[in-house]
Amino acid sequence: MTVTVEPSIFSIVNYDANEIAEVANEMLKLLGMGSKNLTIEVDETVAMSRVIATAGDPIVVHVLSSAFENLKSPLSFSADNARLSLGRGLLRVRDRQSGNFDDAPLDDALSIVESAVWETYCVGRLVKLGLKVHKQRWHYNFRNRHGFNDATDRQFEQIWNADNLDWSQLMEISRNCAT
Amino acid sequence: MRKFFPVSDLARDERFNQVTNEERMADPRGSGNTGVIRKARSTNRLTPSRPDATDAARNLMHGIMVGEIQALEGAGRTCFDFVTGEEAPFALKLDMARQCWDEARHVEISVKLSEWMGTELGQFVENTVLFAAACSQDPVMRLAGVNRALEGLAIDVFTTMKEFGEIAGDPYLAFCEDWMLADEVTHVKMGSDWLRKITENDPERRKKALEFQTVVDKLFSYGGLRSESDESPILLARRFRELAGFTDSEITEIADVSLAALNERREALERTLAPSPA
Repeated sequence: MTVTVEPSIFSIVNYDANEIAEVANEMLKLLGMGSKNLTIEVDETVAMSRVIATAGDPIVVHVLSSAFENLKSPLSFSADNARLSLGRGLLRVRDRQSGNFDDAPLDDALSIVESAVWETYCVGRLVKLGLKVHKQRWHYNFRNRHGFNDATDRQFEQIWNADNLDWSQLMEISRNCAT
Repeated sequence: MRKFFPVSDLARDERFNQVTNEERMADPRGSGNTGVIRKARSTNRLTPSRPDATDAARNLMHGIMVGEIQALEGAGRTCFDFVTGEEAPFALKLDMARQCWDEARHVEISVKLSEWMGTELGQFVENTVLFAAACSQDPVMRLAGVNRALEGLAIDVFTTMKEFGEIAGDPYLAFCEDWMLADEVTHVKMGSDWLRKITENDPERRKKALEFQTVVDKLFSYGGLRSESDESPILLARRFRELAGFTDSEITEIADVSLAALNERREALERTLAPSPA
């Protein structure tokens, strides 16, 4: 298992490549992906928190700088946010490698609704693995994409609490939010 | 009790981390209006269709919340810092007291909206630029900097957030922003009216105050945060500014200042992204 972080030295944000690699190793082991090679590309020129993961050898996770940032202290690193961001990207890769998400678009082609559904599924599972998460943030994101009503809230809970869904089931639940 | 409270002494608990506007603007990163993100969307306007809309709205809502705290502190200082009758008319202070009441209510509403949106208080950094504009020793400057520039920005921000809530179908966000927007229009109107009244026979003082407002307006444009361009997340709300007492030429001047700030930011970003000479 090799974890590579690019760039190795940061010039805009105050991140340490070794610290990021340490968190990545921790997440790979936590997700049962300890044998995988991983490359993390950090775009430090953009203050957004997007994460795009591509399955392969190595797995490539491309993140915008705020995905790893302590938002209370701009430009500084947050291990908690890095865990959550890497966890979401790596879980999507793990889902794809399971064969149950073959119909899912690539990360950068996911619609905002598809993305919200899958994020909910990933973060719900990360909570069960012990990560610190503010559930209401993800609930609000889900509502923004599916509507503010009781049906949406029920479907959110179903996805949040699940751990063995496939892509077609996720999309079916998402469609049910409108009813 | 102490008068003329400096921004560095604002009381906050351990949840909050404050930075000055200079520190905030020293961050050379873009917010998505460059490279791959720019290609992926045609506008930076804060709408639910943006992929990062939820987090961007949460961040802005937190900024509103700390802004309301500082606006409360600023209006409160204006009630107390000046001698009644000699430095500030009693009726002006009464208006500032009424504004304190509004701002306190806005803080409570903003806290509840932040919780609703999944934000923990203090989760984002607090920029102290708003209170910094309320530290002038001339009440007319405060009216220009706080009521007209700061509360003017609030009109733009609340209009954007209200529309965000309406498009997303968020009933609480749209409703609360609409009510707070109505208050902000009143605050700006109070500032405009008092500024004109107090400087009626003192054109030099009025000129200085309006120059100060221009400086603060540019600061509040945050290098392109607010303008009439699609590249800015927040749209300049012309109609509500008219209702608040801004003249057409004043609104056009703010639009020009905001666009200049956006262009400066764009040029700075291009310099940051330019490849280093070999």
